[in-house]
Amino acid sequence: MTTNVPPLQPIVDKVDTVDTVLSPTEERVARRGQRLSRRRLYMRRFLRNWGAVAGLVILAVLVVFAIAGPMLTPYTYTDVDFTNLASAPSTMHWFGTNGTGNDTFAQTTHGLQRSMIIGVVVSLLTTLISAFVGAAAAYLGGTAEKAILGVVHFLLVVPSFLILALISQKVGGDWKVLILVLTAFGWMLGARVVWSLSTSLREREYIQAARFMGVSSLRIVLRHLIPNIGSLLIVSFTLGVVATVQAETGLSFIGFGVKQPDVSLGALLGDGANTITSAPWLFYFPAAMLTLLTVSMALIGDGLRDALDPTSHSAGRA
Amino acid sequence: MLGYLLRRSLGWLLMIVVATNLTYFLANFFLDPRANYLQLRPPRTPGQISRSLAEYNLSRDTPLLDRWWHWISGIVVHWNWGYSPVGESVNSQISFRIGVSAQLVLGSLILSTLIGISLAVYTAARQYRFADRFYQGVSIITLNTPVVVASLAVVLLAIAFNQSVGSTLLFVAGAQSPTVNGFWPLLLDRVRHLILPTISLTVIGYASYHLLQRSLLLDNINSDYVRLARAKGLTRQSAIRRHGLRTSLIPVATSVAFAIPALFTGAVITETIFAWQGMGQYFIQTIGKNDIHGAVAVAAFGALMTAIGAILADIAVVALDPRVRVN
Repeated sequence: MTTNVPPLQPIVDKVDTVDTVLSPTEERVARRGQRLSRRRLYMRRFLRNWGAVAGLVILAVLVVFAIAGPMLTPYTYTDVDFTNLASAPSTMHWFGTNGTGNDTFAQTTHGLQRSMIIGVVVSLLTTLISAFVGAAAAYLGGTAEKAILGVVHFLLVVPSFLILALISQKVGGDWKVLILVLTAFGWMLGARVVWSLSTSLREREYIQAARFMGVSSLRIVLRHLIPNIGSLLIVSFTLGVVATVQAETGLSFIGFGVKQPDVSLGALLGDGANTITSAPWLFYFPAAMLTLLTVSMALIGDGLRDALDPTSHSAGRA
Repeated sequence: MLGYLLRRSLGWLLMIVVATNLTYFLANFFLDPRANYLQLRPPRTPGQISRSLAEYNLSRDTPLLDRWWHWISGIVVHWNWGYSPVGESVNSQISFRIGVSAQLVLGSLILSTLIGISLAVYTAARQYRFADRFYQGVSIITLNTPVVVASLAVVLLAIAFNQSVGSTLLFVAGAQSPTVNGFWPLLLDRVRHLILPTISLTVIGYASYHLLQRSLLLDNINSDYVRLARAKGLTRQSAIRRHGLRTSLIPVATSVAFAIPALFTGAVITETIFAWQGMGQYFIQTIGKNDIHGAVAVAAFGALMTAIGAILADIAVVALDPRVRVN
């Protein structure tokens, strides 16, 4: 026993030195072994992308601006300044005034608030509804698919714009009704696009595998199909925000949009576009706000897409 | 495949018929052509108004079902879509305007699809580099530009261009000059009128296809089959174009196909600015002037375009992705 001990000593020593030499590798192994939760993984990838973080910052600034902006100016969006009709930006009216003397700064911040809520909520709802309906139709197949597609196609064929124009005399003007109406008439095309992509996905191996493992249909749709069309949903959400703000302008045209004295970015843009040569500030400021909103959405969407995409190299390795 | 398409077409036809009839009843419920006569001086009695409307099958004194039967049998037997409250034939209006709108819409649809998809391929291959950021920025700006502003900018640029050249090379308004004769001069004249509206519609239309296609292409750009194509010796560009693009084209193809009806009846502002007598303008007019038959005919035309778009989308998906089976 005692003779055995001395030889052991150097070995232990050696192990010690080896340990200190190898410690970085071991640490790496340990770190790799420590599993990140999926949410933290996505978070880490997202935050590494400077574009995405910039988008988040722009969005935050816009939200603060929309909420705090009205407090920065003594005018409200309904106030009329008769001494300043269609005057250019000045220290009194930062963004100028329109033809009836409304302060454009107050109107822009208020309009941004309205359009952000309408645009984001409608786009989110239509994207969610179309994702679920389209993916479910593609996965279920058979009679269910035929029935769902039949309804979607029929709603696409019915002239929604005409129906809106016809019933607009009865209701309209309220922005909450507007959200409902825009969602109700806006989800069909998205559902059709999601369906056409999902018909390709449902033939893939991982869907088949999940099915043969006995995963329930609802779970396959929610956990296997929809995440794999994620990038389509993200980008259609981004485009949907712009489309909604512009559709709302179109609806104002037939008396369905946000009504005076309430304002939205779409309404401001519509008015400003008509006076772009005589009073360009009425167009530039709302247009800049809407563009910034889209830029932030597009940057965040890009970052999210990269964070969720397992094959992406652009978000680094983690 | 052919049988499938035939069955699909029959289904769509049925839906168009149902939707058109539904629109007829809705329009009759909400639009009242008698309002058009109230402004006339000397004022007409209700009896006079009713009599002149009865001539065009619009009188409220006739029961709705009788009017509907008269209207639908006119379409089925004579392909006559009825008359406006002042007696203009809907058929002649629509047939003239379809041609005008088609010229306006098809060119810009093809151009914006091609530009959008090629830009998407170009930028997706260079994700987050300068070119990608730059074109994405441009697309976001054009996406947010209202139609009025885009059209106005195009018009101002064209005027400056015409002045610098010294002659009117590009026409700012109208679909054609009234005094041109002969096939080739007429074609050239049409093209010179067409360029500006096509540019303005393309500028506002291509961006969504660019952003959508770029995002979808990025999903496939690092997939196994694109890597395999690279391994077989294709260049990166052609591997992306031939293998990556193909499967990720489906959503864009569907969106383009379904954009056709919206473009035909939705280019109202462009038509107004460039003074083209198209379908969009007619649609707004019919609603504004309580023209029941005209509005229903436009709705039916929109439904037909939706059906054509849907069938084109079906064909495109099957052609693009061999994994999709049709039965």
